[in-house]
Amino acid sequence: MTASQEIETRLRETAEQLLRDKKVDVFLGYEKASLPFRTTPLFVTSPEQVDRLAWNPFCTINLAVYLPRLFADSRRGGGRAEPPPPPTVGIVLKGCDLRAATVLIQEHQVPREKLVIVGVACPGMVDRRKAELALGEHDALGAGEDGEGNVHAVIEDGVEVKLSREDVVAEACLQCRTPTPSMHDVLLGSPVEATDGDGDAGRKQTADFEAKAPAVRWAQLREALADCIRCSACRQACPMCYCTECVMDQTRPRWLGAGTDGSDVMIYHLTRAFHLAGRCTECGACARACPMGIDTRLLVRKMNQEVEDLYGYRPGDATDTTSPLSDFSMDDPQDFLTEP
Amino acid sequence: MTEKTIAHTDLDRFLDCLKEAGTVYVPAKDEAGEVRLAEASNVESVALAYRNFRMSPKAFFLPQNQTLLRFNEGRVEEPAPPDQGTSFLFGVRPCDARALLALDEVFLSGDDEDPYYKRLRENTVVIALACERPVASCFCTSVGGGPGDGAGSDVLAVALEADLLLKAQTPRGEQLLSSVEDLLADAAPEAIQQAEELIRSAEDQISPVRVDNSAELLREQYDSPIWEEAGLTCLGCGTCSYLCPTCHCFDITDEMRGKTGRRVRTWDCCAYPLFTLHASGHNPRPSAKERWRQRIMHKFRYAVENFERLFCVGCGRCIRNCPVNMDLRRVLKRVGV
Amino acid sequence: MEKNPYLPYAAHIEEAWIENDARDIKSFRVVFDDSADAGAFSHVPGQFAELSLPGMGEAPFGIASAPTETDHLLFSVKRAGLFTTELHSLDPGSPIGVRGPMGRPFPWDRMAGKDLVIIGGGFAFTTLRAAIVEILDPANRGDFGSLLVVYGARTPGELLYRPELAEWQERDDIDLHLTVDQADEGWTQNVGVVTSLLESLKPASQNAISIVCGPPIMIKFTIVSLLNLGFDEEDIILSLEMRMKCGIGMCGRCNIGSKYVCKDGPVFSRGELRALPVEY
Repeated sequence: MTASQEIETRLRETAEQLLRDKKVDVFLGYEKASLPFRTTPLFVTSPEQVDRLAWNPFCTINLAVYLPRLFADSRRGGGRAEPPPPPTVGIVLKGCDLRAATVLIQEHQVPREKLVIVGVACPGMVDRRKAELALGEHDALGAGEDGEGNVHAVIEDGVEVKLSREDVVAEACLQCRTPTPSMHDVLLGSPVEATDGDGDAGRKQTADFEAKAPAVRWAQLREALADCIRCSACRQACPMCYCTECVMDQTRPRWLGAGTDGSDVMIYHLTRAFHLAGRCTECGACARACPMGIDTRLLVRKMNQEVEDLYGYRPGDATDTTSPLSDFSMDDPQDFLTEP
Repeated sequence: MTEKTIAHTDLDRFLDCLKEAGTVYVPAKDEAGEVRLAEASNVESVALAYRNFRMSPKAFFLPQNQTLLRFNEGRVEEPAPPDQGTSFLFGVRPCDARALLALDEVFLSGDDEDPYYKRLRENTVVIALACERPVASCFCTSVGGGPGDGAGSDVLAVALEADLLLKAQTPRGEQLLSSVEDLLADAAPEAIQQAEELIRSAEDQISPVRVDNSAELLREQYDSPIWEEAGLTCLGCGTCSYLCPTCHCFDITDEMRGKTGRRVRTWDCCAYPLFTLHASGHNPRPSAKERWRQRIMHKFRYAVENFERLFCVGCGRCIRNCPVNMDLRRVLKRVGV
Repeated sequence: MEKNPYLPYAAHIEEAWIENDARDIKSFRVVFDDSADAGAFSHVPGQFAELSLPGMGEAPFGIASAPTETDHLLFSVKRAGLFTTELHSLDPGSPIGVRGPMGRPFPWDRMAGKDLVIIGGGFAFTTLRAAIVEILDPANRGDFGSLLVVYGARTPGELLYRPELAEWQERDDIDLHLTVDQADEGWTQNVGVVTSLLESLKPASQNAISIVCGPPIMIKFTIVSLLNLGFDEEDIILSLEMRMKCGIGMCGRCNIGSKYVCKDGPVFSRGELRALPVEY
């Protein structure tokens, strides 16, 4: 049995127990998808369904994105009817996913006591686009994992192609600093060493970019975003973007146009980066969702690094801290203030 | 309309002739190695070995953003028509060409005609390229199309070993082929047979999806609990609609700079939470359940009721690109279609 | 060349006045800059138009004036969002664009020769006013039977077109009954919901057609009352609202099932609605 299969078995057992004991109203996990290199989210409500739960190298989705909506009804104040009580939600969370859930708890979107967190130590997930590109002209008809964590894709005529894990693992996973969820009610999988524990790889990418002349940086940013079709998939896939009225959709005032004018595209992405500063856990859900394959993490990662440098704060570390951008203390660094 | 052939080695000359008549777009690899439709003058070599483009060619007919009116110091005017001449799209897959017929129903068949769509449609010539190797997410044959279907295109091309087989689908296509007749030969019976075999083999590779009586069955299943379950995972991200060749829903907003500006239409998506929100705060589709149901209903029932046409051409882009693997084939099956 | 359906007619606001005590409903008398456009516009009561303000966008409003009121169009608009707030702030003389007329009007061919029962609630009375003015015009009055109008609002100050309502109550070719949920000093007419008043009036359903416009909850209960009175569901006519943009059935936003409220509606019979999904 591969490591993934072991985790899958334990995951199903755990979910079944939780559902049978009525410790959770719903259990959020992954299910085999209808195409290779992917999984689909599964909301399990009865113990009989747990055999559909899967754990494999394609469990890329950050399930924390579903948490705000599961608790939205119970949080609704005002109105005549009493809001329904919040559900208890069991959920599978990888290291980055858990950090996202932590921020949601910190921001009072999700009550910790209503979550049963099944954490999984994550060795890094496969980027389906990398895998598809690696197959070139071939189309995968199936995919699985071998004992060493490599991906075996089945193409036409039953031919198997081996794709080594490091070639197809997601970019976000190459810069992972916390593969093992620090907060959990159950932990599955053996501890995994972070590929980039100190964040050096991420900082190097930022530093390399910053070393370029401003005109070059601007040109490269413009080019990276040239394909943006303003679908907002990055926003919708992001667990941190839960505002019921997003600034991009406001009409009074209308801050930006809805087209692909360069200025509008920039405002969208720059604003999102600012709104995510100190909140984004760099899970890569945005880049994965983008239909145009744009890696939207570049800008936010820089913002996060600034917050970390200035305030020693990383989003998702603990639920009892407050994001420095929503808090104030007298000894906050203020060397950006100038003499009048 | 008789079939013609052109040698692969003459393709460049064929494209050069088209370039004299307008702007030509051909499939070409970009830096990432992906094939997309690019302006021929910027392209080193035409790529013919690809499955399909990530984006549908819908943007040539219904751009992501399109100026409807110009505002200038209190004057409200139609924008000057684009000085585009004719565009030639070479290498459009049959599913994407067929999708144009759905867009024609929306923009041209009612009491009002959309002049912006009409202008682009009339000035864009589509040369479709039949598919040899469908992918796992293709299901064109189940929705009235096929890898060798010429509907919606002006010319259908089939890539054979030494030649391209060309068959005009419209008078405009006939005209196009006549204009390059020096480069063409009448298709030999072997070539025609080869093409038929190629297409048949492609058809065999496609797994069928049942969509018969979809309109009737979806009508019966409107209140099924399946929609709640199926819609649960939808992120409302818009990827499906934006990549879909038949999705046409749009928003209209005004953009101003002082006293000048424009009224612009931009792509919109029924999965977005704000799509049907009233000013009063009432929303007839308040959750992902209603919105996902609307998507399926629109394509497989309402379009059939209004136009006797499915608004899905089986290109599979929604299934391939959905970040959470929403799969309308799966939903149709569950609903009992 | 076909007219571009997205290009509004140029018009201007000739007069604007507050309609209600809450001061959030304003009526606008709109005149085409070019009188030839007025002729081309020629609407049928029940239809709507999209009013356009550069920079603010557009919004759909029922046309409150009848075609017999040839020199202007009347709109009554509640201030709710970006567009309506701007509209409310405009002075007479301000330019405005008008696109239309749009939508399927009231079924005038079926209404001919019938007794008419018109029921309105709140500020949804706009297109009903257009219908009433049209019916009362001497050239048309003979084409219809009796005309019963029941109109209710929360308070007397929220009734629209009060001076006209008073005039109509003096006439003998229209039987107008008003009601409010909450009376004020000086209110001498009915108090109570529209349906109670309707039921007490017991209009005959034989050879009659009813038109209902109002908030969703009022429509729901009024339909029940009318069915109880024996009205056939094809003879109960409703006008719906939806978020709209293009107004011509292309942007895909305002559909109920396979019908677009802008193009196949906004007027629907109760029978037609029952065949559609309940998504409005």
